[in-house]
Amino acid sequence: MDFPKYAPYNPNTRGPAPYIRSPMKILMLGWEYPPHIAGGLGTACQGLTSALSHQGVDIHFVVPELFGREEARHMVLSDAARTISPGGQQPSGPRPQAVDVPTTRVPAFLSPYWNPRQFQEALASITQQQVASLSPALRRDPTARALIDGEVYGIDLMSALQHPQPSLPDQVPCDARYGKDLFEEVERFTLQVVSQFAGENFDVIHAHDWMTFPAGVALSERTGKPLVVHVHSLEQDRSGLFVHPQIGEIERFGTQHADKVIAVSYFTKRSIERHHGVPSSKILVVHNGVYPREMVTDYREKKTWPKHVVAFIGRVTFQKGPEYFVEMASKVIPHLPDALFVLAGTGDMLPAVKERVQELGLSKNFMFTGFIQGEELEEIFSVADIYVMPSVSEPFGITALEAVSFDTPVIVSKQSGVAEVIEHALKVDFWDVDRMADLIINALLHPEMRHDLVSMAREEIKQLHWDAAALKTIDVYQDVSPRASL
Amino acid sequence: MAAVCLYFQVHQPYRLRRYSYFNVGNSTTYFDDTLNRSIMEGVAKRCYLPANELLLRKIHEHAGAFKVAFSITGTALEQMRLYAPQALESFRALAATGCVEFLGETYYHSLASLYNRDEFKAQVQIHSDHIEREFGQRPQVFRNTELIYSDEIGHVISELGFRAVMVEGAQDILGWRSPHFIYRAAGSSMRLIPRSFTLSDDIAFRFTHGGDDDRGGLTPERYAASVHELTGNADLAGLFLDYETFGEHHGRATGILNFLGELPRCLLAHKEWTFATPSEAIRFLHPVSELSFPRVTSWADTDRDITAWCGNNMQRSALRALYDTMTLYAEHDINAPHMALACETWRRLQTSDHFYYMCTKGDGDGVVHRYFSPYESPYDAFVGYMNVLKDIAARSRKVIAEGERRAASNE
Repeated sequence: MDFPKYAPYNPNTRGPAPYIRSPMKILMLGWEYPPHIAGGLGTACQGLTSALSHQGVDIHFVVPELFGREEARHMVLSDAARTISPGGQQPSGPRPQAVDVPTTRVPAFLSPYWNPRQFQEALASITQQQVASLSPALRRDPTARALIDGEVYGIDLMSALQHPQPSLPDQVPCDARYGKDLFEEVERFTLQVVSQFAGENFDVIHAHDWMTFPAGVALSERTGKPLVVHVHSLEQDRSGLFVHPQIGEIERFGTQHADKVIAVSYFTKRSIERHHGVPSSKILVVHNGVYPREMVTDYREKKTWPKHVVAFIGRVTFQKGPEYFVEMASKVIPHLPDALFVLAGTGDMLPAVKERVQELGLSKNFMFTGFIQGEELEEIFSVADIYVMPSVSEPFGITALEAVSFDTPVIVSKQSGVAEVIEHALKVDFWDVDRMADLIINALLHPEMRHDLVSMAREEIKQLHWDAAALKTIDVYQDVSPRASL
Repeated sequence: MAAVCLYFQVHQPYRLRRYSYFNVGNSTTYFDDTLNRSIMEGVAKRCYLPANELLLRKIHEHAGAFKVAFSITGTALEQMRLYAPQALESFRALAATGCVEFLGETYYHSLASLYNRDEFKAQVQIHSDHIEREFGQRPQVFRNTELIYSDEIGHVISELGFRAVMVEGAQDILGWRSPHFIYRAAGSSMRLIPRSFTLSDDIAFRFTHGGDDDRGGLTPERYAASVHELTGNADLAGLFLDYETFGEHHGRATGILNFLGELPRCLLAHKEWTFATPSEAIRFLHPVSELSFPRVTSWADTDRDITAWCGNNMQRSALRALYDTMTLYAEHDINAPHMALACETWRRLQTSDHFYYMCTKGDGDGVVHRYFSPYESPYDAFVGYMNVLKDIAARSRKVIAEGERRAASNE
């Protein structure tokens, strides 16, 4: 009898499946790990490593800093700063525990979604909070909590910036273990990784997103071990026309030096080819997986929501196209005056978006929740009649799949990776607000259309499990390292 | 003696243009004339013209031994008249040979047989009138849209005076019986001519040309041999196909037209086999028994049922909305000049293809649906359709109200 090629992922089982002989050893470089995350990167790393380990792959996962609440029983998870200090010396004293040290966690505000300007701005404002953070009241403040704990749906940078900023970024006092500049952080991580792991035994280096690319390339040069870089998003996606040249350079450097590149979608693969001149044959697409939700609290019965609810959930930034959501709403409202448009999330475009809503006279049809998580987030996902993701450039867009898992039909832009993996979604060009409005009005007017969309899409997301992603990733490992075997 | 009954379906719908919710009340341009023209011109060039020319030649070559039947929908006929008049001319030339029979169906290739009996009868009459005018023969044998058939529908068809109906030889209906005989409709003297689904699908879906060195492809000789194998166990081989199979679904380069051209000679090579039109078949062949269709069958999709058009919620909702609009016309003379446009549009919206495009099935069936659909997705098809229907309903209400006002002021 043949063993199944893979078994469904079960987070409770640990260790290699019995038919695995000699495990493949992977050194994985990441920037964040749940629950301390700023975006989809950490969640994706958790899903992928869990499924890989279930296939019998040995993973050592390294991040710049750990916070003490991470749980990763399926692999070794370590912290580059913990064992090696900037000068290559052992750090002095034990690391403080997460519960009582908000201040030492501050430096990890550096987020994969920030460019250096945002990093400086955040650092400036955080210094203020750092002073105040001794007060338990502030720790309960949602903004501070969002910044400290990280968040899935958007850093509340704007709220942070609303605090007075008397000091110049240059004068910001920093924790000794962290540089004042994002690139300095990246460089420090690179040095730490090389000095710590050059002598270790592993088959493949797997680096996630640009912050870890220099470390991956340096370690690969030093050890001769093959390098796989994993592109979850590109600077072009995050910043549009205002690409930070240095980040773009690092992405080019990493993708060109890697033995293989993994892209989260064909959309991203095409971007890598176009922007960084990487040959198509070197890039493999591994779509993210999703965990289908089994039970959803029926929020619709709990609270009285209007008849038609249209939701946007995500960072209110250029990349996510919030302005197209507003323009679309202005076309829907004359025909469905009772429709409520919920915009959940925050980001640098929020003031402009709010202003536009006022200018159009649509304030009574709009609800701005700010950054939300947990039950509040679940409530929005489940009361929405339709979830809109009008992203201008979206490497994947996992929130669309989450919406489906809440039985909410989705409309996604054609400029998104998720449009490739889900057939039963409404699809539209992000700029085509007329078309978007046409589809949304009809979806709101016709429950049978929403029903057909969701029932088919739910079947589709059942197929999008992380095990499929893990198997494709293993193929890539075997391709770059013939010695690596299962 | 046994007969090959070859029947080709010719149909083109009026495809809708992208009609947005914001067009409702502002535009009566519902159909995509440009797309419809280019499809009709293309299909005429690749299929109707070359295949008709080929059939005409073969009919002459075989001096009356080769016969075929066509069913041409009203919407295809109209578009041919508009965009490909030579194609229509070549069908007339075929009609003139006396070896070609034209079958009856609904003018609009609609699902009215399932939803509205009066409307169904009206559309069948319109179609028969047009066929008679165009080709000089009034249809005697019926084929319903996509071979949709049940005992109940059969009853209506026999009321209309048809002598036979083409039906799908669905396996669960036939049971142990063979599709290669003529049957009697339940409780009626009307005949049923079953489609041999394996022999028909061998050409429609499994045709592959073996190449010049002919390895494993479907040759007319091989195909004829599989028909001749039935000798002694069959009265009839019902080969019912979309005409577009020849040159359109299978391009000329596949050799499908040569296959069609060689088929008469190869099939007639066996002394027991001949060709018969459906009317001839029921005249010469006796029905073996009664055949009851307790469920609605069709020739579409793997299940041979009607889920291709009314399988999901959107399709059922759109059909309900469409036939609900009928109530608007119920107490009104739909032939009155002021109603003509709205009614004609409403009938074009009944064409089954509109619902076929809304199908959300996956796998093999889904691939076929997508091949035919001009839309990016079934949801786009549904949205466009509902927008148009909304506009038609609103306009009809307005026209009716105005008519009533005028009538009141005249009194």
